[in-house]
Amino acid sequence: MAGPESHAAMLKAEFPSLVQIEGGGGGFSRFLVQKESLPAVAQYLHHHQKWQSRLALLWAVDDRPMREGASLHYLFALDNVRQWVVLSIELEGDDRLFPSITPHIHAAQWYEREIRDMFGLIPVGHPDLRRLVRHEHWPKGTHPLQKGFPWNEVLGRQQGNYRFLHIEGEGVFEVPVGPIHAGIIEPGHFRFSVAGEPIMQLELRHFWKHRGVEKLFEQRTLTDAVPLAERISGDTTVGHSLAYCQAVETLIGLEVPRRGRFLRSLFLELERLHNHVGDVGAICNDTAYSLPHAHCGRLKEQVMQLNDRLTGSRFLRGVNRVGGVTVDLTPNQLTEIPKELDRLEQDFSELESIIAANSSLIDRLETTGVLTTRTARDHAVVGVVGRASGLDYDLRRDRPFAAYGELAVKVAMYHYGDVRARMRVRMDEIHESIRLVKQLCATMPTGPIAAEPRLNSRLPKTPKAGEWALSAVEGWRGEILYMVMAGENETIHRCKVRDPSFVNWPAIQWAVVGNIIPDFPLINKSFNLSYAGNDL
Amino acid sequence: MFRIIKKSLKTGVVTGRYPQSAAPHESIDPAAAEKAKPFRRSLVIREVDTGSCNACEMEMNALMNPVYDAERFGIRIAASPRHADALVVTGPVTINMERALKDVYKQTPDPKLVIALGDCAINCGMFKGSYAVTGPVDRHVPVDVRIPGCPPRPADILKVLTELCGKHDRH
Ligand code: SF4
Repeated sequence: MAGPESHAAMLKAEFPSLVQIEGGGGGFSRFLVQKESLPAVAQYLHHHQKWQSRLALLWAVDDRPMREGASLHYLFALDNVRQWVVLSIELEGDDRLFPSITPHIHAAQWYEREIRDMFGLIPVGHPDLRRLVRHEHWPKGTHPLQKGFPWNEVLGRQQGNYRFLHIEGEGVFEVPVGPIHAGIIEPGHFRFSVAGEPIMQLELRHFWKHRGVEKLFEQRTLTDAVPLAERISGDTTVGHSLAYCQAVETLIGLEVPRRGRFLRSLFLELERLHNHVGDVGAICNDTAYSLPHAHCGRLKEQVMQLNDRLTGSRFLRGVNRVGGVTVDLTPNQLTEIPKELDRLEQDFSELESIIAANSSLIDRLETTGVLTTRTARDHAVVGVVGRASGLDYDLRRDRPFAAYGELAVKVAMYHYGDVRARMRVRMDEIHESIRLVKQLCATMPTGPIAAEPRLNSRLPKTPKAGEWALSAVEGWRGEILYMVMAGENETIHRCKVRDPSFVNWPAIQWAVVGNIIPDFPLINKSFNLSYAGNDL
Repeated sequence: MFRIIKKSLKTGVVTGRYPQSAAPHESIDPAAAEKAKPFRRSLVIREVDTGSCNACEMEMNALMNPVYDAERFGIRIAASPRHADALVVTGPVTINMERALKDVYKQTPDPKLVIALGDCAINCGMFKGSYAVTGPVDRHVPVDVRIPGCPPRPADILKVLTELCGKHDRH
């Protein structure tokens, strides 16, 4: 494996004008790039064979009042060498233009449109400049994340039309679905173009649930924003709050005690468990095989009741806080959990063999909704969906956080990229999660569960305004990223949240092509992405 | 086949295996109870998400699993608002969903009930005041029943719904 110097050295040799910047929490190297040379540097970094790099995050910051102007930051994950590189460009004063990298790096497409909507900065050369987050009825010139924009003034309305992509031709129909769907699921709009049965094109229209979360973060202080992070996507309560807490801990220099880290991992695995079990059942249900759905519903309920008994919340709300966790487990509970999970695993294994023995079910899942490795990589897809399409990364192994540095995580991997592969990744991860929880219970260290000082007292180190940190957590859906930038007096200047759904949603548009509309719910369920986490 | 039967026998009946609701008993507003009269023994619900964090939806979904099995009280979920007796609304109403909520309300045949589920739907919760949130559900459509909690447990939801159906969740 190459050392961290090597990619920095290579970059500097290739582009002598780069300026390496020290600092920035979260373990990455950072370069300041001239605006004009950004596309070249980004392409070099992204396309170089040696690194297998992907664009993991792209965010903008309105730097006022610290500096007149905005800045953009590109996080590349070099998966082969397990390094992160951040490229930053700074726009001066009223400059609102930045070069688009989308023509060469496809994964940037939604990020750049999002930045245009939220900051009013324009990605020059972007092939698709329609609105993304801002629906057509938002008034012109409203860019909520600009510093001057009042957070609490409800937007007005204007008339406007969204231009969907059309396929024209004889026998081509458009089928609009949503925003309100048939089941108990979240709102989103899907527009299919079909000729006969097969889908020719799917276009997503999301962001119905946009609640202005990133702006709400800016109204809070570093230590009291955890409840908000928990409510970004309710099913990923632990994942989001953990990612947020870690970023803040890096920023304020707080070391989480070992027991706290173990408990965090334990809760994260419990969350993975109940969601995956539910998903396996739901996938079966979408092929009209409701028996496993009933069993999985029961098993999921069992885990959620366990959560409730352990922490007082079925979703593990309020478990994480900056510095550690709020809930300790008694020795009794630590012996009870493995026993309960053993029974659950036995139960689930029996169910698995029932599922595997149903050939009509398996036939429906195989070759349905194939996301090829190539497409997955182009979209920088993460998590369960990525692992089912042959993208071998899992932060628990690659960038260990919480207690994962002391655990050997076996990563589930499949290559077919169809619904079945995604179901099998989940099944494997269920067994792995149970194993991890048991191991965590068995090796639980003694000691405090959270770092002092307690909340609301003085922090070990007050971050300077403009200091920021990154944090990454492998939630049950995949990689959750947080970038937290401090403002004056422990406030939050900017908090960028990236749920795995945001990168995986566009990929679904390609996975459905050639399938029939009745299979869409099944494919969608096998992705099971969050609307709330995507819309923010 | 044998495997499936064996599994079912081994599992037995799981319905009712949940802790009783501990939420303080708030009696339902008499006007709402009056309105709910036609729906005794059969209440068909349409769930509308207007910007929730999806935990409230998950708990609604949990109502339909074998453990809570709301259908035993005659509570069912409809796929279309036109088939619904009651709307269950979750989440603060975002600007983008405001129209959709009003449309759904119009599409639902009278008489109808509106149930606001979760703190967000009742008072916008954490998202109060945001530029993208146009206020709690009752700013846009009249609300008959409120079920507080973040999220309320399925047992709490079931308690209120069964009461509306004129039954009691006893197991
Ligand atoms: S009330 Fe709580 S659980 Fe329900 S949608 Fe709002 S934040 Fe989520």
